[in-house]
Parts: sequence; structure tokens; C-alpha cells
Amino acid sequence: MKRIKVYQKLTVVFFSMVFTGILAGTANADVAGGQKIFEAKECGACHLTKGPNQDKTFEDKLKRKGPDLWFAGSKFKKEWLVKWLQDPKPIRQMAYNSIEKKNPGDHSKLSGKEAGDMTDYLMTLTSKDVVAGTIKAKKDLMGKMVFEKKQGCYGCHSSMRGAKVAGGLTGPSLVDVGKRLQGDWIYAYLKNPQAIIPVKRMPTYAGVLNDSEMKSVASYVASF
Amino acid sequence: MKKGIISGVIIIVLAICFVLQGQGFGASPGENYKWYCAQCHGLNGKGDGPNATKEQPVTPRDHTDTKGMSKLTDADIENVIRDGGKATGKSTMMPPWGKTMTDAEIKELVKYLRQLCKC
Repeated sequence: MKRIKVYQKLTVVFFSMVFTGILAGTANADVAGGQKIFEAKECGACHLTKGPNQDKTFEDKLKRKGPDLWFAGSKFKKEWLVKWLQDPKPIRQMAYNSIEKKNPGDHSKLSGKEAGDMTDYLMTLTSKDVVAGTIKAKKDLMGKMVFEKKQGCYGCHSSMRGAKVAGGLTGPSLVDVGKRLQGDWIYAYLKNPQAIIPVKRMPTYAGVLNDSEMKSVASYVASF
Repeated sequence: MKKGIISGVIIIVLAICFVLQGQGFGASPGENYKWYCAQCHGLNGKGDGPNATKEQPVTPRDHTDTKGMSKLTDADIENVIRDGGKATGKSTMMPPWGKTMTDAEIKELVKYLRQLCKC
């Protein structure tokens, strides 16, 4: 009787190990598979995956055809990314790096399986300057004041103004941005833009806003 | 010894000044204008950049408006670029660029605006 129990336990341990192994194998395969798709589709022609970004001039920046992804895992929400890759609706009204041309909305579309693998790969790309767990999305009053009154963020970014979408066109849209971005990334970018996007058209707010205001506005924007 | 301390203090003060002001990318005033200002004020300064949408509460200033621009002193223009609209009693839609461009770049930009407005 005792021997049977030992066999039963050993069987459970054996199958657990096999199952865990399969899961781990699948996870790795997805990351590797995602990287293969990234390379096969030549996504690297537009997106930087090895950071940090070393741009020093406007010319350096203008050579880039799409947003950096070397911090994608610190920037995006996984659930959003997997959906967006299958239905890539423009986030920017203007073409990347342009204030003259409209975004043609011609980003390649992936199948469900490809998008899943690609997301698994992109989520492994992280920045040490983005500290996870710092910012919680909330309707922060100080953040709202900074966003709407102290600074005119909607001058360049569109967002919901009541029931309508309004605001400028040169910055990425902030409509539903809480579904897209991690608050920690927004805060890291505001606090130290040099470490995240060294050349940009957005003003530097570090030194304009204090740390508490930057945290509040990041929390507020992440609640959209 | 004293000289060494004084030079050390001067270096530290200069380093602090460098860190506190904007970074700059060594661009010409025209390049800075097209990169930053043109988003709202337009590439030719007519106040018609892509951010000047109908829904915005204020329209960006037309920098080619000789009459309107000539009312502003160089110091007024420099202050509004560095500290933004709110710091100078204007709209917050004009952001502060003092941490984005260096003081020297902002002064050069004022001269560029004077060329645009011919004033």
C-alpha cells in the first residue's frame, strides 16, 4: 500500500515536471519565434531594439522611420500590444518624425499567432531607467491640474475633452493611453528623457515640473 | 593653493549652470524653429502648424505679423520661449523651452523671430 502511494507521488512529480518543461519550452519558443518574425519582416528597418538610443542631432532622429522599441516591455501593456499588432490603427495623426505629412496608416498587420509571439519577444525588451511599480493609474487631481492648467499638454496631444477627442496632432494620441502605456514609462520619460528618447520634439519637463508633479501627471495620464 | 580652490569652485559653478540649462543639439536657430516651434507656429511662422486645430482654445501667434510682434521686446520674447506662456501671463498652450534649448539658442531664436516679423 505504501509502495503504491510512493509510485503515485512519483508519477505526479514526473508529469508536473514534463508539463512545466513544455510550458517553459513554449514560452521560450514564443520569444524566439517573435524575434524570428521581427527579423523576417525587417521591423528593425524602422524600429530600434538595441538601446539605449544614441541619437545626438535632429539629423540622427530624422533617419529613424518608427518609434524605438528597445524599451517596449517597459512601455507597453501586453494585452494592448497583442491586439494592436493585429489591427494597427494609427496612434499618431502625423507620419513619424514629420509635421507635414499625415500618417498613412500602413503599418504591417500580423496574424493572431504572429502577434502573440511578437508581443512575447517585445515584452522582453526593457529599460533599467523604467522602475516597475512606481506609478499607479488614478484620476490624480494634481496630475489633472498639470495636464490641463499648469501645462497645455493637449496643445500637441489629442485626448478626450468631455465626450469629444480634441487637441494637437504632432504628439502621439493620449486617447485611451492607459490601455496602451505603463505609467512607470511615462514617469521615467518625463523624469529623464535623455535616457529614454534623447532627441524629441516635446519640451523637456524635468526641471520645469517637480518630481511629485511628474508622478501625478503620469498617474493621471495612465488613467485615460 | 588658493588659486586651486578658486578654479575648482569656478569649474563646479560652470558645471552646475550647464546642467541646469537646456541641453540643446547644436542646431541653428532656423533648425530649432522648424523642429520645435513649427509644430504650432508653422514652418513659415504664420501660426498655422499642425497643432493649430479648430478645437484649440487659442491660436498660435503669427510670427510674420510685423505690427503685433513689434510690440514685444526681445526680453519679452526670450522670457516666453524660456518659461512658457503662463509665466508671462499668456496661454499655457505655449510650453516652456528653457530646459530643452540652451540660453544661447533661445537668444539666437529671438533674432530669428525678428527676421520672420521684419521688426
